[in-house]
Amino acid sequence: MKTVHLVIDDKSIAVPEGTNIFQAAIDNNIYIPGLCYQPKLPQFGGCRLCMVEVTERRTGHRFACAHPVSEGMIVKVNTPKITRYRKSVMEYLLAHHPLDCPTCDKSGECGLQNISYDLNLAPGRFKTTRMNVPVIRDNPLLELNRNRCVLCGRCVSTCKEIEGLGAIDFQNRGIKTVIGTAFDKPLDCSFCGGCVAVCPTGAWQDRTLGFGGRSWEFMKTPTICPYCSVGCTIVLNTKASPPRRDGGVDTVKRVTSDDYTGINEGNLCVKGRFGYEFIHSSERINTPLLRRDNELIPVSWDEAIACISENFKKIIAEHGGASIGGIGSEKSTNEENYLFQKFCRTVLKTNNIDNLSNIKSPFLNGLIYKSVIHGFASASLKDIETATTLFFFGADITEAHPVIGNMARKAIRLKGANLVIANARNVQFQSQARSDVRLRYALGSQVALVNAIMKAIIDGNLVDLKKVEASTNNFPALRGQLNNFDPQLTGISAETIKQAATLLTNNGNSYLVCGKDVEEDPQGKDIIEALLNLCALINAGYNADTNSARISIFFSRSHNNSQGVNDVGVVPGYLPGYADIENASSRETVENVWGVKLPDDMCKKDNQDVFDLALQDKLKALYIMGENPMVNHPDGKKVHDALQKVGFIVVQDTFLTETARKANVVLPSATFAEKEGTFTNMGMLVQRLNKAIPPVGNARPDWQIISDIAKKMGHAFAYASPKDVMVELERVSPAYSGIIYDRLKRKEFHWTSFLLTKNKPLKYTFGVIEPGVLNISVSKDFPFILLTGANLNHQGTFSRHTKALMSVAPECLVEVSRNDARAMGVNNGDVVIIESARNKIKLKAKVSGKVSEGMVFISEDYERQPVNLLRDGAYTPVRIHKEIG
Amino acid sequence: MILPLIKGLALTLKRFLNPSTCATVQYPEVRPKLASRFRGLPELQIGKDGREKCVACGLCAKACPSGCIYVEGAEDETHRRYPKTYELDAFRCIFCGFCEEACPVRAIILRDTFELSTYKNNQVFDKEKLLGLTRKRDLLKR
Repeated sequence: MKTVHLVIDDKSIAVPEGTNIFQAAIDNNIYIPGLCYQPKLPQFGGCRLCMVEVTERRTGHRFACAHPVSEGMIVKVNTPKITRYRKSVMEYLLAHHPLDCPTCDKSGECGLQNISYDLNLAPGRFKTTRMNVPVIRDNPLLELNRNRCVLCGRCVSTCKEIEGLGAIDFQNRGIKTVIGTAFDKPLDCSFCGGCVAVCPTGAWQDRTLGFGGRSWEFMKTPTICPYCSVGCTIVLNTKASPPRRDGGVDTVKRVTSDDYTGINEGNLCVKGRFGYEFIHSSERINTPLLRRDNELIPVSWDEAIACISENFKKIIAEHGGASIGGIGSEKSTNEENYLFQKFCRTVLKTNNIDNLSNIKSPFLNGLIYKSVIHGFASASLKDIETATTLFFFGADITEAHPVIGNMARKAIRLKGANLVIANARNVQFQSQARSDVRLRYALGSQVALVNAIMKAIIDGNLVDLKKVEASTNNFPALRGQLNNFDPQLTGISAETIKQAATLLTNNGNSYLVCGKDVEEDPQGKDIIEALLNLCALINAGYNADTNSARISIFFSRSHNNSQGVNDVGVVPGYLPGYADIENASSRETVENVWGVKLPDDMCKKDNQDVFDLALQDKLKALYIMGENPMVNHPDGKKVHDALQKVGFIVVQDTFLTETARKANVVLPSATFAEKEGTFTNMGMLVQRLNKAIPPVGNARPDWQIISDIAKKMGHAFAYASPKDVMVELERVSPAYSGIIYDRLKRKEFHWTSFLLTKNKPLKYTFGVIEPGVLNISVSKDFPFILLTGANLNHQGTFSRHTKALMSVAPECLVEVSRNDARAMGVNNGDVVIIESARNKIKLKAKVSGKVSEGMVFISEDYERQPVNLLRDGAYTPVRIHKEIG
Repeated sequence: MILPLIKGLALTLKRFLNPSTCATVQYPEVRPKLASRFRGLPELQIGKDGREKCVACGLCAKACPSGCIYVEGAEDETHRRYPKTYELDAFRCIFCGFCEEACPVRAIILRDTFELSTYKNNQVFDKEKLLGLTRKRDLLKR
């Protein structure tokens, strides 16, 4: 792109062509006052404050946000004439403004207030009646005070362009213009809080703050969100009380966002922005608990750790280390999970360790690593913003990863990206994509669908087949096999599939997000292998010079560190960094650093599921860190029975979860706000956490707890901070080699691209997949298929201890299709009983257009509704009926 | 030379012996008369509705040079902003009156309370204590 040189306020700058003056000034740290311009939003030109004097061929006055830069332009921000003009604009804006700064939470960070101070405004000349309309508080999270609004339109365009909803807009005209919802109905949106973040005045307010502090009192700490796997940067605003109050307590008062740090550009979802109250929840465990006489009694740390070490030692002596199982956490940091597996493998001498994401889809780690070394997963999530085509396969982006949706909408708005969405449900994704192809496949036909797309690509000659044949192995076999499937099976017309194939092979970068519905499908392994074939087929012809089609794949993970827990080796099959545990040479590196020899009989890849072992009475003790398998394991009954059989259970968690209630020792662990460390997001980006507050109560960070237990058991775990752990992890793990902990604060570490700079991507060998038949035994007794999936408002234990999220989505709903609901006489809000062969639960019904006939959908993220007790596999047949009476 | 000395001493003795010009106040039996702008302990004022005038804007805490004020706001059922916690550490207060000056609603005023010595090792006035001073004053007025 051409660079343009110009002068703003005697400062010579160079910016790309097409930039407006306002953006050029922001990029070069020059201040131009303005209220409506926001770099991430389309230009609006409503506040009239950014007038500058521009000399091109002749001198004139222009609005900086609406005028593009040109070569040799001279811009003056402050001339006496402009200042006079600006003052009069401000006078008009303030004529209606209530000037209630003392009680407005925006005070101190308010655009209007700042400009008033800068311009040294005197009291206005106009005697106007101040607007005095009631404040709209029709929902628990956001409040709209129209009296303070300056009609800059930022919230309207955020809602429309970024969140894709358009829940609010301008109403009326002229002096009567206000912001509001259609027909003044209560706000019904995703509650992303984007409107609060962009509002330059105090018109939109975060109600969870509840006047709890002033902006200048807050200490702002950027850290990583503890919910989904996108890894957004959130800014924790903490307020400190004076030392005389219990020695000074720091409290997290609200979450804000920062447009310039992290991958999310200041966009957050409802969980990220409002889901922080659990940090100071009264239900947190404050001291270690020990079971005595069938009751959990508070004890001191020393007592609890002594009890654990004694019991572990006794069990190792009597039954051997293999009789102890460990469950790592998808929510703890990489360092903690690394220490956890090191503790289990070196101190307890067991390889029966696992994490829930690996239990749900045991094949995934291998496939992810395969995609990495072949160069398909080398993109960062942020790259989605530059996509030409987005392909969401089995992913409900709006519910599961809303911020990826925001990035996708940016690509659609700025780059004209196309959209292909394949899902069994009619998932919602509002956007203005020019081509929006929806592939609503029948369950069990995913492999056939991917094969059909590949066939359409090959038949249509959409890629250079000669090049594919040259740069990959086994292509003819794949080509031969592609005829052996029934395209009718998918229930999608050949025309639509062809359209999707064309979009995917368009020039430019495409991104494929492989969702949870695929990963947890019984055929998930085949589907993902088929998707990797598709990636290889498209990427084989990639030529950087012609910018030809190239596709990158992302694997959707459920929790903030579901990727990291597998990366650092809390799985039976891999040592840290996907080093094969059965391979002696890769084990040697680890053994040298750890100073421990790992016995051969311990290091077996095909270890059984920890809970299966427990059911077979092979486990005497279980060590669970930050996980609640009673609710989050797909098979609730199995976990329930397994935990009954284990004699000694240690649970390390923030809350007294269902699993913790079964434990013999419960250790209170610190939340993400109270510790340092790193999380790895689903784009393989390692990001650093920053400690915002000291641990609440008697809680300790997980890494410290593990080190303490190890020390008590006589092993040297001499780590003073997560940094020491990361230094060791860097030496041990091939994936994380090159990571520097201190540098992470400034720049995230993208381990896949770093790996690929050292090693060239391997030549891909097509795997020929025979699509298996999916057995879902829908019978007359159980005529519906139960689908489970993500929910926007809830995830894990944290969200249910957050008042704000509970008030937005208080209860779990079962989604029933319109026709089924009509047939059963079920209306919205009716209580229905969902019954499977195993169990039954009672839920309120939601008649929805998202599910097809014969399907019901229940979110698995409401921990209080144990859906997993119903399930015995991915697709469980159920029956539902209305509650009588 | 000795004459002016006697003259001066005479004036001193005259003042010293005359009770109307004597500077010594028989405190605590006799209360001192304070100037109208005397800066004693800051007191929270009560509004017409019988509640604190304070809107918890936190400007007093910000203006306080000795950092003796701690305010924590909250929202009541009528969505009014009020101080859930208002604390003033009288040991740290330097009676500068900046808080009074900063207050946008005249909710804090330095009045004539100056008897602050205590045997305790802290002297923190919470919201009720600070309002209590004003309440007592109102009662006395009536």
